[in-house]
Amino acid sequence: MAADIFTLGIDVGSTTSKCLILGNGEEIISSAIIPAGTGTSGPGRALEAALSEAMLSRQDIAAVTATGYGRNSFEGADYIVSELSCHAIGAHAMFPDAKTVIDIGGQDAKAISIENGKLGSFVMNDKCAAGTGRFLDVMARVLELDVSELAEKDAMAGRVIPISSTCTVFAESEVISQLSKNVDICDLVAGIHASVAVRTASLVRRLGLTPPLAMTGGVAQNAGIVRALSKELGEEISVSPLCQLAGAYGAAIHGFNKLKGRK
Amino acid sequence: MADLSTMIAGLKAISPKEELKKAVSAGKKVIGIMPYFCPEELVYASGMVPLGLWGADMQANESKRYYPAFICSILHTVLEMGIKGKLNDLSGIMIPASCDSLKSMGANWQYGVKTVPVINVSIAQNRKIPAGKEYTASQFKKVRDELSKISGKEITDEAIIDAIKVYNENRKALREFSFLAGKHPEAISPADRNAVIKAGYFMDRKEHTKAVLAISAELASLPESSFRGAKVVTSGILADSPSLLKIFEDLHIAVVDDQIAHESLNFRTDVPIIESDPIMGMAERIAEIEGCSVLFDPGKKRGQELVKLAQDAGADGIIWIMTKFCDPEEYDYVPVKRMIDKAGIPLLAVEVDRQMVNYEQARNAIEAFSETLC
Repeated sequence: MAADIFTLGIDVGSTTSKCLILGNGEEIISSAIIPAGTGTSGPGRALEAALSEAMLSRQDIAAVTATGYGRNSFEGADYIVSELSCHAIGAHAMFPDAKTVIDIGGQDAKAISIENGKLGSFVMNDKCAAGTGRFLDVMARVLELDVSELAEKDAMAGRVIPISSTCTVFAESEVISQLSKNVDICDLVAGIHASVAVRTASLVRRLGLTPPLAMTGGVAQNAGIVRALSKELGEEISVSPLCQLAGAYGAAIHGFNKLKGRK
Repeated sequence: MADLSTMIAGLKAISPKEELKKAVSAGKKVIGIMPYFCPEELVYASGMVPLGLWGADMQANESKRYYPAFICSILHTVLEMGIKGKLNDLSGIMIPASCDSLKSMGANWQYGVKTVPVINVSIAQNRKIPAGKEYTASQFKKVRDELSKISGKEITDEAIIDAIKVYNENRKALREFSFLAGKHPEAISPADRNAVIKAGYFMDRKEHTKAVLAISAELASLPESSFRGAKVVTSGILADSPSLLKIFEDLHIAVVDDQIAHESLNFRTDVPIIESDPIMGMAERIAEIEGCSVLFDPGKKRGQELVKLAQDAGADGIIWIMTKFCDPEEYDYVPVKRMIDKAGIPLLAVEVDRQMVNYEQARNAIEAFSETLC
């Protein structure tokens, strides 16, 4: 049956804007990811791209829910919800059995517990960028790689070169010093991933590790990180191809639930 | 009688800088009082003016010559103000040794601020046993004598008893206000609640009591609250950042009670009047205070008390306002969290700092937490 109620979720992140349109609260009609975050043209472009792909106009959308760091500055939202709630809802839709969600975004990392399909409790990183997408961007730049190449390099690593510094700035110096020793870049990438995994795993342990685990956010696309994190936690981690859209997905579901009067 | 908002606006307008200037222009001597639990009544009894010093929302630069950057921002900013001469009108500053960072504050102040003498305050670690109470009282007596020298007049037991009565009246008024504010979040925002309490650190206590009683009378006459937002109890050292309190207000979160050193912990416990030795009564009060990380609490009664506060106030959750780099608070958090979790009360910890300018991450966490409460 064709959808008759469309809800849109937009996740205005620190570095990327994600938008997803849902039909009747279940069917993904369209989505868009624009690599420009809050305070840029990214949110508007993501919205337009998702509407265009779905061949819908703003008037066709019954509810727009904004989430992410830029949620409060996004104009035209019917609902505004934190990305922690939206990632919990989105991850639950992707993996209904998941009890713990790890979300690593552009500038923060979060461990989230899911209770009854919604946000239970959570632990966030502090203001430090280490262990976030920004950390990986910085490291990729030092290694003259695109961040999308990190997973491939990680897969070719023969060993893991430990990166001991937890601070992004010091870790960058450490990586540069390793480069000056002509170490294998693949081994260095595996070390960078391991350092992110250690930091993120500490968030999960503070929250309380309750499997099954799922991972959302843009960094989940990096199979090297997922592997390192899985090894560090000793648990399998489920990742959806839509991982980067989890917040927008959860926001669209939230909007639909609100329309239906569900909590 | 002025309406509620006018009365609260009056207290919000109280400026420590102006109060200091006013007192000095009137020929009075002013004594700065640093946290925690200094014998402020003795200053009142001496005829001098006490002025609370809990730091300021400012960048600290000069103070970093004496403290590394990773030390409590309350201390950093008080020292910064001292070094920059903003507290030169003080005739003395009481500095206790309640935590590791405060232990070196007195020496740092002596080196960095030559113009304002330090009055060191010691409180017994084992504050509850008879020997501990005797020690605290003996130290407070030393403070009394130092204040006598500064004021140039003897501080009699009668004057101390009178001061204790003034402070006990003030504490009683604040307890009543805190209770009524918790019942009427529709009328008292978290920022209002904080402002009413905070003004007491800068005003004459009798005047403050009068103002608080007038506000409470107004609150008591209000019909039952229609507030529908989330209700929380806060715990920590300090929660007076306007940006933080604005987040609470924006998200319709009410503070229905607190376990904050700067707020209720300062007025929850009265000083018993001991006619023969009033300073011993002040030591007795120190022995009775519960729920503060800088007062030795081997059984961690803080956790039980916090759970009870939340239950009694009908709170939906607890927000732990973690002062950045505060070791005592970080140590307390672990056992207290366990107790709160066991009681099934939702808990959020948010880190704050006097030098913070961007509260977006705190907003994000508080917003997500409030979504779990509704």
